[in-house]
Amino acid sequence: MLRKILLSGLIFSVCILLAAQTKTAVTSKQAKITDEINLSPADIEVFKEQTKQKVEEFQQYIVTLGNKDEPVEKRNMAEKEALKLFYKGAQMEISFVMADGSIQKINRPMEKYLARLKSLPYTKVIIKFYDIAYISEFTKGPDGKYYSTATIIQEFTGFSNDDIIYTDVTKKDIEIIIDIVEDKFFQEKRWKIFLGDIKATETRTTTASL
Amino acid sequence: MPSLSFRNKTSFTLPLILLIFSGISLSGQNISTKQKAGEEIFIARIKQFNEFVARFNYKSDFKGNPVDSLFRVKMPREKMIPLLFDMKDLRLKNVGIKNSDDFIKTKSDFIREVIKNDLLINKYSQGIIAEARSKVLFNGEPRIVRVFLNQEIVENDMVKWTILTVKGDIFDIFKTDTSMVRFIPPSSNETDFINLKRALDDTEHLQNYASRNFEPDYLTLFFYCIKSGLIRYEYVEEVVYHIIDIPGWHFKVKEFNRNELNSGWLITDVARNNLSFSEFLKRL
Repeated sequence: MLRKILLSGLIFSVCILLAAQTKTAVTSKQAKITDEINLSPADIEVFKEQTKQKVEEFQQYIVTLGNKDEPVEKRNMAEKEALKLFYKGAQMEISFVMADGSIQKINRPMEKYLARLKSLPYTKVIIKFYDIAYISEFTKGPDGKYYSTATIIQEFTGFSNDDIIYTDVTKKDIEIIIDIVEDKFFQEKRWKIFLGDIKATETRTTTASL
Repeated sequence: MPSLSFRNKTSFTLPLILLIFSGISLSGQNISTKQKAGEEIFIARIKQFNEFVARFNYKSDFKGNPVDSLFRVKMPREKMIPLLFDMKDLRLKNVGIKNSDDFIKTKSDFIREVIKNDLLINKYSQGIIAEARSKVLFNGEPRIVRVFLNQEIVENDMVKWTILTVKGDIFDIFKTDTSMVRFIPPSSNETDFINLKRALDDTEHLQNYASRNFEPDYLTLFFYCIKSGLIRYEYVEEVVYHIIDIPGWHFKVKEFNRNELNSGWLITDVARNNLSFSEFLKRL
């Protein structure tokens, strides 16, 4: 009888121990995931620096694909590489102020915007960007991704032979997203910066008469 | 083309330019004289609403760097806040028919109170209401709907914008007519509300048959119209922020897209406010 009681006690203790271990394991697993999905302020500072680089990279691709003096292969490559910087489904929204003061907006998928930029009806195109960009603080969204906005200024000049026929200065507000991506080769997850939707607003336009 | 930025000098312009660029050279980034006019404007411009809040709270200088002791000496907060106003507001001009001494005084009182009590805007406050003036197609016709949004904190550290309400003349579906008394008679219950059919056929004045506590929920109506295809959402034409996060005050911030130092997200109106959040939202 005593053996029976001792055995039951032992089984009960082992069960409690196992249950406790399981609970601990779950807790520590959750903690690990939480650690993984939160970026520290130091990490965010690093990502802010990387955002500047991504934006500069994008600007460089725009300059290349707009430049009709560059070889077609290089411009095609710039278009392809520029697209890789963006989140899937990113759009370009361009606003125009109409003669009556109303605002007209056009939305284009980023693929179409870049393709269009490559084939503008000018003999020569010069695109310049200011050296400075403003990047806001990152804020975490309910999906666990981090969001920010970078603002840049682009100067565009379109030529017909040697004559300038169109110039504009546009402010571009670019959505920045830090998301976790899976690196299939190394079988690990890591944070990566993507560019998202872009809002383009003309600040100055000049159309020269031909 | 440096002349562009300096063409329309106003009293604030010169000190601002000197300050921006003295600040830059002080921080060892010698870009002042070589910088193109456009870049000068870009630095001065309040490029994002986020930047507006940072400058209002005196957290960042013109270049987005944290405010340091040197900047505090050169540009104290009482000089910084006035730069956040739209200087082209005719009410602020000393002359002209639109000049408003009342508005000038209200603005000064607001600035004084903000400085004296070191009042700050909480970046994620529910008291920041964004009004997205939106173009929609209603039955194929272009119309304007004002969508009001604010921020919601999710699980302590995550943020999202949510739609509070919508307004627009397409929601003015009821007519006011005081010439007739419209009601469902007291004996209607005994006839199994035969009168209900009559009441609901009176489509222009349906609100008269509702309880005295009836308040139309335009957001539900908007969602229904979108779901049923009656309204097709096009895009946001303009955004205006209504800020009631500073106790006792309401001010509006909108973007001024112009090639001047005083551009970007600027205060376009300020007034005293003692309304509760829901009352304020109703009156927008």
